[in-house]
Amino acid sequence: MGALGQLGAAALKVCEPTSLLLMIAGVTIGIIFGSIPGLSASMAVALMLPLTFSMSSSLGMNVLVAVYIGGISGGLISAILLNMPGTASSIATTFDGYPMAQKGEAMKALGVGIVFSFLGSIFSFIILTFFAPWLADVALKFAAPDNFGICFFALTMVAILSSGNMVKGLLAGMLGLVFALVGLAPIDGTARFTFGIPEMRGGFNTLTTLIGIFAVADILVSAETIGQGIKTIPVKKVKGFGFSVAEFFKWIPGAIRAALIGTGIGILPGIGGSTSGMLAYVTAKNMSKHPETFGQGDPEGIVATECANNATIGGALIPLLVLGIPGDGVTAMMLGGFLIHGLSAGPLLFVKNADVVYGIFAACMICALIMLIIEWTCIKAFVQVLKVPKHVLLPLILVLCAVGAYATNNRIFDVQSIVVFGVIGYLYHKFKLPTTPFVLCFLIGRMTEEYLRRGLMRFKTFGAFFTRPIFCVFFAIAVLVILWSLVKEIRASKAAKNS
Amino acid sequence: MFFRKYGDIVTGIFYAVLGAVVIYLSKQLPKSKVMKIGPDFMPMLIGIIILILALMLLFSAIKNFKANAEKAASMPADTSDYKRVLASLVLVVIYVNILAPVGFIISTLGYLFLQIVVLAPNDRRTLKHLMSYAVLDIVFVFVVFFLFRYGFKIVLPAGIFTL
Repeated sequence: MGALGQLGAAALKVCEPTSLLLMIAGVTIGIIFGSIPGLSASMAVALMLPLTFSMSSSLGMNVLVAVYIGGISGGLISAILLNMPGTASSIATTFDGYPMAQKGEAMKALGVGIVFSFLGSIFSFIILTFFAPWLADVALKFAAPDNFGICFFALTMVAILSSGNMVKGLLAGMLGLVFALVGLAPIDGTARFTFGIPEMRGGFNTLTTLIGIFAVADILVSAETIGQGIKTIPVKKVKGFGFSVAEFFKWIPGAIRAALIGTGIGILPGIGGSTSGMLAYVTAKNMSKHPETFGQGDPEGIVATECANNATIGGALIPLLVLGIPGDGVTAMMLGGFLIHGLSAGPLLFVKNADVVYGIFAACMICALIMLIIEWTCIKAFVQVLKVPKHVLLPLILVLCAVGAYATNNRIFDVQSIVVFGVIGYLYHKFKLPTTPFVLCFLIGRMTEEYLRRGLMRFKTFGAFFTRPIFCVFFAIAVLVILWSLVKEIRASKAAKNS
Repeated sequence: MFFRKYGDIVTGIFYAVLGAVVIYLSKQLPKSKVMKIGPDFMPMLIGIIILILALMLLFSAIKNFKANAEKAASMPADTSDYKRVLASLVLVVIYVNILAPVGFIISTLGYLFLQIVVLAPNDRRTLKHLMSYAVLDIVFVFVVFFLFRYGFKIVLPAGIFTL
């Protein structure tokens, strides 16, 4: 039976009432976990795992997939409405989603986010279904130097992000790198910049950093003007998903690009949804004819991020299913689920348990549809949050942030660090430093160093990296990006002088 | 006004000091015995880049100081309410530090109420409003606590109030 036939048979099985109901419950739980910062998709999968013990293996896996998909997508709700990324994957959604919500376009922003989350997921699942084994072979070819090349390339994106005032943008990013250094060094575990504080050995948690930089800083920034009168954010009512067919088709090329980036990053173990969303966002900004509107509430920013971070799900399932390699926390939990149900993820899974594999593929697609329907029907309920006056809403958000930060690791240190990052975010705002480079550098800094040193351990010299074609391609693109940004910057400053 | 006029100079000085500190601290780190690039390489590299960029920023800020100062003077005055910012910051700092010893329920009950009052515009601080904030405060805190405790199985710091 061909892939299509098996997929069809699996889809019929997945659509049985019990399975469908359980998947709806799974997606809903995932969305709730995803939208509350600190409660991650991996935590939701971990909590649901024991509940699947009594189910058949295929049903159990479908429920876990449902939770995973809901968890990644749910992050967009709090990112758009509250400037608080519910999951690390939805950081870049805040860049344009929150300004849109502030302008009264919350419903449109949510509509765009939901539809393109769905499309991104479906795109990656189609690739997963038809090309998984082949792509897994490609992923195996990536060694540490190649991953270093990708990270280095991602870091050079900071130069693009900070065009207009490159020195300040780069400095803004550098602080992110400094914070990424805190903790035990990769490979040898030397404690760096911990100042003898035991909690600092683990480094700063990604999510707490993001919560601090965005949500806590936002409270301080809002406090500046909040006394000038009561403020509620207007919400424009929309029909359907809030955008026209013409707009939809205009966004499609960007969406495909973002979905490709998301799936590609997802396939490579260890890089993850947060990076793919950021990369897709920066690429969209860079390729746009009007890059200046990004960050001011441009729906194309949401299209890029949401498409990419959801496409990462399908990508991440490829090495998990085909090779048994989990790429991140959630897929590691899923691997646990496989083992509990007596399935061994890896090449044999396709031979021995093809029904389960195709069941997962079918479940992925149906869960994406369930996610679309649930989130769309609830848009009106979500935006009610904005009706709460800001002076009441912001303190509630802060308490949720503190609880979320605590929940990530059960450490008070994480709660304290959101305040530190909140102050940094506020000072960045006052000194007109962009926060995006900080976030990008913080996310990728640690990984870059780790892959560089791992690569050097294996290949001895940096020169040997250049014998690897994949590394060379990314390194060359990175160098070109730097040169191009420099030329653009010099030209812009000359033009400013002349005028 | 201060931020507009001296913003870049302050930023430059901060980063120059940061760069120097990072370089100094990386020198204290042990070198790797097995490979050339040890745990001190990245911090050192980052420190040097920060120092160079900071000096570039300082140089251009001092060079363009007059033009920027004139531009800043022509802009409308800064009307930011720093009292509310500072009060919020103090409250948040106290809150995160008493969260563990005092416990989630009591510290949040206190923090949330005070923070809403600090942020509320002056005409929203009447007795009637304060009462409604207090009710919201109590309901929210208990809903969050029980939701996390029994819904998500996450035990928030109990402090002196063990449930």
